[in-house]
Amino acid sequence: MSFDHDTVTGFAKSFGLFYLIAMSIGVIIYAYWPANRKQFDHAAHSIISDDEDRPCP
Amino acid sequence: MFNFHYRLERNAMGLVLAIVVVASIGGLIEIAPLFTIDETVEDAPDMRVYTPLELAGRNIYIREGCYACHSQMIRTLRDEVERYGPYSLAVESKYDHPMLWGSKRTGPDIARLGGKYSNEWHVAHLYNPRDLVPESKMPAYRWLMRNALKIGDLGEHLAAMRAVGVPYTDDMIANATADAYGQANPDSAQSAGVTARYGESTNVSLFDGKPETLTEMDAIVAYLQILGRLTDVAQKTEQANVE
Amino acid sequence: MIQGTWIVQCGGVGMVAQLTALERTYAAIILVCVICVGVAMAVAGRGDLMAAHGWIVALFGMVVMALLLRGIDAPDPWEERFREYYDDPTKVGIILSLIWGVIGMFVGVWVAALLAWPDLTFDAAWASFGRLRPVHTSGVIFGFGGNALIATSFHVLQRTTRARLPDQLSPWFVLLGYNLFCVLAATGYLMGLTQSKEYAEPEWYADLWLVIVWVVYFLIYLRTLARRREPHIYVANWYYMAFILVVAILHIVNNLAVPVSIGHAKSYSLFSGVQDAMTQWWYGHNAVAFFLTAGFLGMLYYYLPKRAGRPIYSYRMSIISFWGITFMYMWAGSHHLHYTALPHWVQTLGMVFSLVLLVPSWASAGNALLTLNGAWHKVRDDAVLRFMMLAAIFYGIATFEGSFMAIRAVNSLSHYTDWTVGHVHAGALGWVAMITFGSLYALVPWMWKRPALYSARLVEVHFWLALAGTVVYVFAMWNSGITQGLMWRTYDQNGTLAYSFIDTLVAMHPYYIARTVGGLLFLAGAVVAFYNIWMTISRPAPVDEGAAADLPVEPPAPRAWAQAGE
Repeated sequence: MSFDHDTVTGFAKSFGLFYLIAMSIGVIIYAYWPANRKQFDHAAHSIISDDEDRPCP
Repeated sequence: MFNFHYRLERNAMGLVLAIVVVASIGGLIEIAPLFTIDETVEDAPDMRVYTPLELAGRNIYIREGCYACHSQMIRTLRDEVERYGPYSLAVESKYDHPMLWGSKRTGPDIARLGGKYSNEWHVAHLYNPRDLVPESKMPAYRWLMRNALKIGDLGEHLAAMRAVGVPYTDDMIANATADAYGQANPDSAQSAGVTARYGESTNVSLFDGKPETLTEMDAIVAYLQILGRLTDVAQKTEQANVE
Repeated sequence: MIQGTWIVQCGGVGMVAQLTALERTYAAIILVCVICVGVAMAVAGRGDLMAAHGWIVALFGMVVMALLLRGIDAPDPWEERFREYYDDPTKVGIILSLIWGVIGMFVGVWVAALLAWPDLTFDAAWASFGRLRPVHTSGVIFGFGGNALIATSFHVLQRTTRARLPDQLSPWFVLLGYNLFCVLAATGYLMGLTQSKEYAEPEWYADLWLVIVWVVYFLIYLRTLARRREPHIYVANWYYMAFILVVAILHIVNNLAVPVSIGHAKSYSLFSGVQDAMTQWWYGHNAVAFFLTAGFLGMLYYYLPKRAGRPIYSYRMSIISFWGITFMYMWAGSHHLHYTALPHWVQTLGMVFSLVLLVPSWASAGNALLTLNGAWHKVRDDAVLRFMMLAAIFYGIATFEGSFMAIRAVNSLSHYTDWTVGHVHAGALGWVAMITFGSLYALVPWMWKRPALYSARLVEVHFWLALAGTVVYVFAMWNSGITQGLMWRTYDQNGTLAYSFIDTLVAMHPYYIARTVGGLLFLAGAVVAFYNIWMTISRPAPVDEGAAADLPVEPPAPRAWAQAGE
């Protein structure tokens, strides 16, 4: 097996960093994407609207 | 780009997959290398497995929740090495299913307790800790003296341990019950088999002081006396990393 | 008039009548299976403690069956029910949560007292510290916290999706099945059944049962989301989903074990030594992350804005915190194993991620507090909202402390001492319990259609008891932990250790008494909460002269989002 301890730890140490960076960038882009703004605002307000407490038909 | 996110969050399954992927990679990357660690961990050719009596004692230790107050993991810190002995090595708990490293020291670490006190001391201490250490917070475990030890099924226990990777032989499994009895009764016919199977240095003695019956006290004292003594690799290795 | 009767039926015995005849049949079949499994366990486990658990399973099944049979021949519920949310399981979950809370906290006070006065065990095995401690931890985490999570998740899920739960049987299966797991856990510890894995102590058969329950729970979530009438999945549900999914992964991996035999309760874990330690603390730390944090953040993100009447300050920030927490917690578990036989690089990795974790944690806490900014008069007047605010503050404190304690040098002092215990309770009492009580106080009048709680003053009393108890407890543990950590490493002028272990234990005694007092105050608060909520429920509902008009004559108009969202 070529998966010896050093290979696996080496992969873990390097890949982890890139994964973290890519993940952070992706999430921030998503959260601040201008076109997403409207639906986020709608979602934030949706739970406190005065609608009656029953499911949509 | 935008459409992908838009769909992701409109799609419940997409959200589920994203959570699973994001959450599992961390654990995978961190834990996976530990399973190749055998290549780098120190070797201990002299290490033996727990005898059936010690294993029964270990199960009582687990049952009573002793691990909630006693750690079995000496850290690589100077004061710990001076207080408790050589710091613990990974190999020392390789037969511990599960490990009992602990997370809290309301009582002291006991990774190297074995051989530190006599059997009589342990029996008296477990019977009422405050007879020996007046300030102790430890519960009195008097029922261990009253309860007969269940040894009839120890062979099955050894077989289960073998299934998870502990090298018990067929011989050990077949004689588990007799060995448990023999280890706590040095004068019995069964005691010779214990040293034959587990080594000459196996601690065969009248742990609870009573020859006629096998009590839970026998088992727990046998276990406490083997702590840190399955291998002496820690004593032999240079303790290089003390901080 | 008829509709009035129907509303009355929603409470009490009428809960069985809310199931359709088919669902009642399925329920009976499931219960027969449960009883059979219980009896089979009792037979297979003769001479082993498993037999006792078999009888408990069978008894549990029979009790639920007796409740079911009382309403088995009721007529099918009205079709009208589809125009209402299904809240019966939430109501029962709230009460179960409070019962477990009082039990778990009472046992907590008891084990605290045992450390000050160890002879309170009075020579009974079940009453010793080692057996009672997991009853306390599981009782409060899984009994109190878990039931609150299940109850509130059903409520939040329906409101945010504007869809009724997909059926009326599976929520009961989840709620009651989960409580069977809790009962097996607590009774098992008293008898001496434990895997010794902290916060994952129940034995293999209880673990298997929880997997089944959890899968059904997850399916309820998916099925309701699939029927949702809101296009966007509100962020609270993200947190609840992460809680359900990740707890499933953690639970399965950490509990892998080989039982001695099918008739033995005892099992041996698949992993050993260093791998087992890493797996256990990967589980242990992420149980904190995804059970005690993600789930309760779900609560926070729904009930706090709702109660304050203000949308969450930054919805975007809540998304960033969500992915940050989901991603980073998973790496942080190894900070429980600093200076141990775990490889050094894994320790460092755990430390670094624990530090970065402060960012999403404080983003959540800040987001909650900023939501209240501008509504401070409400916080002043409304103790329920104040519970939620205090929870957010303690969340901020506890996550800062957690990151701090994950630093290797700090950990060398804090680990194995009461500082860890104090940290856990800052989170458990200050954050988890406060947000739970705040949410339940908000939820109870909505669920039982009462104008308000029985007594706002009692909420006020509870608030101050809870705050005082938490502060006393946490300060006692900080003092004892740091004192003990320092004493362990103190050298005298000859270069030898200055204190024996027992010296350090003697120094702990006053703090252990203070901790018991703090716990007692918190327990008293929980009892007050139970009384207040019980009185709210048992007081007759106000006469509603408009009962007939309570349902709209025509189906409600399509929601505004249908135009705005597309």
